[in-house]
Amino acid sequence: MNFIKRLFTGMKPDVQTEPSTMVEESEEGNETATVPAKEVPQPEPEAEPDAPVGRKVLQIPSISAGLFPEQCDEVLIKAQPSPTGDQCLFTVNRPLMEGYSWYFSDFESAAESPLAEALFCLEGLETALVCESTLLVTRKDKTLVDWVPFAKEVGAVIRDALTSGGGLIAEKIISNLPSEDAIREGIQKVIDIEVNPGVAGHGGNVSLLAVKGNSVTIKMGGGCQGCSAADLTLKQGIHTSFRTGVPHVGAIFDETDHTAGMNPYFS
Amino acid sequence: MPKVNSFKVKVQSGQQGMSEPVHFNFNNHKLVFENATGSAESGKVFEGSFEVNSFAHSLTLVGPESGKWDIETISIDYDCENEQPYTVNLGAVTLDETTEVNMWQDLPVPSFDV
Repeated sequence: MNFIKRLFTGMKPDVQTEPSTMVEESEEGNETATVPAKEVPQPEPEAEPDAPVGRKVLQIPSISAGLFPEQCDEVLIKAQPSPTGDQCLFTVNRPLMEGYSWYFSDFESAAESPLAEALFCLEGLETALVCESTLLVTRKDKTLVDWVPFAKEVGAVIRDALTSGGGLIAEKIISNLPSEDAIREGIQKVIDIEVNPGVAGHGGNVSLLAVKGNSVTIKMGGGCQGCSAADLTLKQGIHTSFRTGVPHVGAIFDETDHTAGMNPYFS
Repeated sequence: MPKVNSFKVKVQSGQQGMSEPVHFNFNNHKLVFENATGSAESGKVFEGSFEVNSFAHSLTLVGPESGKWDIETISIDYDCENEQPYTVNLGAVTLDETTEVNMWQDLPVPSFDV
C-alpha cells in the first residue's frame, strides 16, 4: 500500500523499507488491482497566490473625424505617406468603390477601369489598391522618399476621374465579385494549406478575423506577433499567397497588436 | 516610445453606462484619473487627465468590474515630450470585466492636401 501511496503522491521511496513493503504486497495477493482509485489519498493542492486577472485588450480603429468639411461639392484628397515611405494612402471625400475593394497589380489588370488606367499611365507607379474612399499606391523606385510631387500627380488623376462622371472601376470586375462566403472559404483554405504551415516553423500562426465585401482582416499570433520581420512576411508572403489563391480578394487588413507579442521569432 | 508628459481623456458613454470609478492601465499599472469630472453613466460624459511623465509602453481604458459599459466615443489629448500635442479619436466599444481597450497611439503620420 505504501508503494501505491508513493506512486500517487510523489513521495520519495524509503530505500530501507521498500523491499519489505513489496514483499508484504506480494504476499497479500493482487492488492493493487482491487484498491479503488478513490480510496487513494490525494495530495492537497498548494494554495496559489492571487494572480492578477488578465483582461483582453481590444483594438479599435481611430476615427478620422473632421478630415474633410461636411457638405463640400469640391473633390478633396488627402495624401498620407507611410512612415517607411514605401506606400502612400490617398483619402477622398467621396467613394471610389462602394462596399468593395480591388487590387491592380499591373497595367494589364487596369484594363477597362478608367481610374486605374490613368494611374498606371503615371511614370513610376507600381501597384494600386482601391478600397471604399481610399487609394493605396506603391512606387517602383523604393529609394524615393519624397512623396509630394508624385502624390500631386496621383491626386490630379483621382480628381479628373471623379469629375469626368463615368465609372471608375471596370464593370466586369464589379459584376464578377464573389460572395463573402466564397472569399472566406478560399482565404481559410490558403491559410490552412499554405500560410500556417509556412509560419509554423517560426512558431507563428495566422487567423482570419473577418470578411467584408471582398476585403479580409487577419491577425498574426505566436512567433509572428511582435516579430520584426512580420511586415515582410505579411506583404511578401501572406499577400502573395492570398492573391494567388483567391484572385478576387481586395484589401488585406492586419489587426495584429504587435506590441503585445510575448514570444516574437525576431525581436 | 515617446515620453508622455500628460494626457486627457473624454469618454462619451452609450446606452449602458457604469457607476464604478473609471480606471486606466499605464504600463500595466492600474490607476484612477486625476481631475475627474462628469460620470460614466448612461449618456453622460466623463473627463479625466493624468500627469504621467514616463515612457508609454501601453495605455488602456479598463472595463467595469461587473456589468457592461457601452462607450460611443473616446477622445484622448496627448502631450508628449519633443512632439506637438495631438488628439486621437476612437469609436464605439463595449467593455466588461474581461476587457480593456487600447488608447495608445503614436503621433499620426502627417498628411497633406493634393
